[in-house]
Amino acid sequence: MSAAQEARESGIRQVAALPRWLWLGPLLLTMLMPFGWMLLVSLSRGASGSFGSALAGPFGWEHYRALFGAASVHRYLANSALVAAAVVTLNVMTAAMVGWVLGRRRVPGERFWTLGIVATLMLPKQVLMIPLYLVLARLHLLDTYGALILPFAVDAFSIFLVRQYVAGLPLELEEAARVDGASDWTIFRRVILPLLKPVLAVIAIQSFLTNWNSFLFPLIFVDSERLRTLPVGLALLAQGEHSVDWGLLMAGSTVASLPVLAVFVVFQRRILAGMLAGAEK
Amino acid sequence: MRTHSRATAWAMLSPWLLSFVLFGLYPFAFTLVASFTSYSPLEAGGARFVGFENYLRALTDPEFWNALRTTGVFVIGTIPFTTALALGLALAVQPAFRGRTMFRVGFFVPSVVSIVVLSLVFKGLYAPNGFVNAALHAVGLPAPAWLLDPRTALPAIMAMDVWTASGYYMVIFLAGLEAIPHDLYDAARIEGASNWIQFTRITLPLLRPTLLFVLVVNTVRSLQIFAEAFVMTGGGPLKSTTTVVYYLYEEAFTRFHLGYASAVAYLLFAITLVLAWGQMKLVKPSGEPR
Repeated sequence: MSAAQEARESGIRQVAALPRWLWLGPLLLTMLMPFGWMLLVSLSRGASGSFGSALAGPFGWEHYRALFGAASVHRYLANSALVAAAVVTLNVMTAAMVGWVLGRRRVPGERFWTLGIVATLMLPKQVLMIPLYLVLARLHLLDTYGALILPFAVDAFSIFLVRQYVAGLPLELEEAARVDGASDWTIFRRVILPLLKPVLAVIAIQSFLTNWNSFLFPLIFVDSERLRTLPVGLALLAQGEHSVDWGLLMAGSTVASLPVLAVFVVFQRRILAGMLAGAEK
Repeated sequence: MRTHSRATAWAMLSPWLLSFVLFGLYPFAFTLVASFTSYSPLEAGGARFVGFENYLRALTDPEFWNALRTTGVFVIGTIPFTTALALGLALAVQPAFRGRTMFRVGFFVPSVVSIVVLSLVFKGLYAPNGFVNAALHAVGLPAPAWLLDPRTALPAIMAMDVWTASGYYMVIFLAGLEAIPHDLYDAARIEGASNWIQFTRITLPLLRPTLLFVLVVNTVRSLQIFAEAFVMTGGGPLKSTTTVVYYLYEEAFTRFHLGYASAVAYLLFAITLVLAWGQMKLVKPSGEPR
């Protein structure tokens, strides 16, 4: 929050908290109740049979032990982490490079390329679902980590964010480095990347959240169990209609939620700032 | 500009160019071409050009209309509630009061959690012996079968969507509210305008761009609802929760009617564009510079 914003905020009179708490409090509890329920069931030993008996207890870590005892879940977690790490890294790198080039208008047809990026933003990915599948098949990438990473390694919105950000940066530093005889790659690494840190942080966080939770494409692009990410693994685990082990599923759901909740709590300000940057476009 | 630096610039642009062509432009064009063919890996003899047959088939297929109606009910039934709840929450947590941040963060939390996790949790809550029915039973109300009954399955998923999506749009509304100059309210208060008058004469008109953004984004998102149906109901019971994307998924990846599914994908794309455009026309006041 900027100093000016803070000054304006403090100018707004404080509203009495108690009346608000009286109705917002129960509303918040209602909204968060499903997560409380998830935790309870994951910890309740009696919950495996029927979901309703979770409150009865007794409580313990059995479901988590069972979850981590299952080799497949380790695998799902590792896959999710690996894919998210790769996508975030590639996303940040490509957004920085492409965004800088476009923001500085260093290639002919810059307007045309930017238009292409904006067009990509408007296109619902579901429309491309089938041919994307076929492209990956032709590249022999189906059912590999490549299918989970490459189509998501370059993100149009991230590029757009960097391009806007670059436009607001002073040119002098780059020019000084150029006069000193630095190559473009050196300027990019030594001058540009450090300057882009704030916007790249926002991109990294958002790309992590999106990728960690991603479901439809990992479901379609991968068949083997050993390549499943956590959301796909959990969803398919839940499909045995009559033999669903709720305790185990809720333990898995809790584990799947912890990383995003941790990232959210730590980077709350930046996440909201990134969303607002999107809303202002 | 020296030539070597232009070459570097092209090199830096190339990841996007490659990805744009391979994963954007080519699939987009391919879907269009495929939608006019009988393309299916299961069919012997390869793809035939069939003209508008796939589109006609979709438009005369009761299953497609069912999927369209289901998605339509979802969009029309959730968006007013989500928007109203999100705006209400934003108005409630905007002014400075003790604990404001906790509420802002708390309401937003469902938006960062995986939709698969949310769907699993709500599937459990809606179970015949689950939490929702236990609560209804406790106050003496009848307990429906929720996801197992074709009449209640879709409304149950819609309620979950309103519940979990509102916090996200609340944050966008907060941004819009912050942008309204505060002296407008001060002036109105001096004139003796009631809260309601301030809301309808200042807040709502100045919030129009934000409202438009929320409507468009939420509509596009709602048209693509898939994971909820996949996890909670498998499109059932009796296809009551088969949305357009779920139908698309089934046609393409369980029945392998790729040509036909491409036509469905383009119809979905066309509907998305028309609705987004219509909302812009509706919400944007005519003859006002903005």
